[in-house]
Amino acid sequence: MAFGFYAVRAQQNGVRHASDFSSVEYFEPPHQQQMKSRLSGAEASPQAGGLLLIKKLKLEMFKEDGTLEYEVEAPDCIYDTLHSTASSPGPLQFQTGDGKFRVEGEGFLWRQADQFLTISNNVRTVIENAPESETKP
Amino acid sequence: MKKICLIILFVASGVSILCAQTNINSNTNAAPKFPRTATRVDSDTADFDMTGHKAVYRGHVRVDDPQMKLTCVLLVADLPPEGGRVDHIVAETNVVIDSVDEKGQTNHATSDRAVYIYNVQNGVTSETVTLTGNAKVENAQGWLTGEPIVWDRANNSLHAQNQNMIFRQNLSGTAETNSAATNKLSAPK
Repeated sequence: MAFGFYAVRAQQNGVRHASDFSSVEYFEPPHQQQMKSRLSGAEASPQAGGLLLIKKLKLEMFKEDGTLEYEVEAPDCIYDTLHSTASSPGPLQFQTGDGKFRVEGEGFLWRQADQFLTISNNVRTVIENAPESETKP
Repeated sequence: MKKICLIILFVASGVSILCAQTNINSNTNAAPKFPRTATRVDSDTADFDMTGHKAVYRGHVRVDDPQMKLTCVLLVADLPPEGGRVDHIVAETNVVIDSVDEKGQTNHATSDRAVYIYNVQNGVTSETVTLTGNAKVENAQGWLTGEPIVWDRANNSLHAQNQNMIFRQNLSGTAETNSAATNKLSAPK
């Protein structure tokens, strides 16, 4: 339930709109100082039923050593603060931290609890293969 | 009929076949002749398990890389680690692979399941595609069935167990594509 924390709090304080927000989830001890994931957006507008309309969604997932592992971007989405899910019928981009595994598609559902992303339509993946530098005997 | 086809049926149990028929290089020191650039995977839907580091593609799955094209119904790939590459892929249901070797010859493979494994140990690259379940490989010279059929991509060779290999020789020197006797032997698409 970490994502949307700031936006939800803003809503409770009567603020109807948030800009350039981010929400961070940290690893469990002993890595509690390291970010596990960060959700950010250019705008967040509270909707009925605990929903947030987020513009320019960016979701980053990190490894325990702090390196970026996965990154998800979408022009807009609905974030369900009650169920910790993000979804949209629109486009989405997903890639590994090194950018060598890149995915595009349309329509998605992101479940934060188990870090599971479903892309519903027109999934297109590009995998940049590492060069063959190994020497054979 | 000018075209005469000779069919030689080999039923044997062993390994290391079809190399001559497919002009495949058995030199284990040979470097791959194809540039290993980008591989593209398209599908109707996909699931990405960030915790389990797996991608599951479903529906009209199409893989296109410089060395082969693959279609299937379901494909599961391990997501690559930082700076690494995809090293394990499983394709299932109606698997079709069309590949071109370094001499431009096309091979057409079908199976129920194909498993791709990439591994480097002590500087030695191992890269295989293992076909199981009604596995069959065809080219202009004939076709091979086996269980399993292993395509060694690192060394450009095919191996099979429990194989059944059929050579077709066209004495006219031109491609035979619609012989009644070899009805299933046609140039791979």
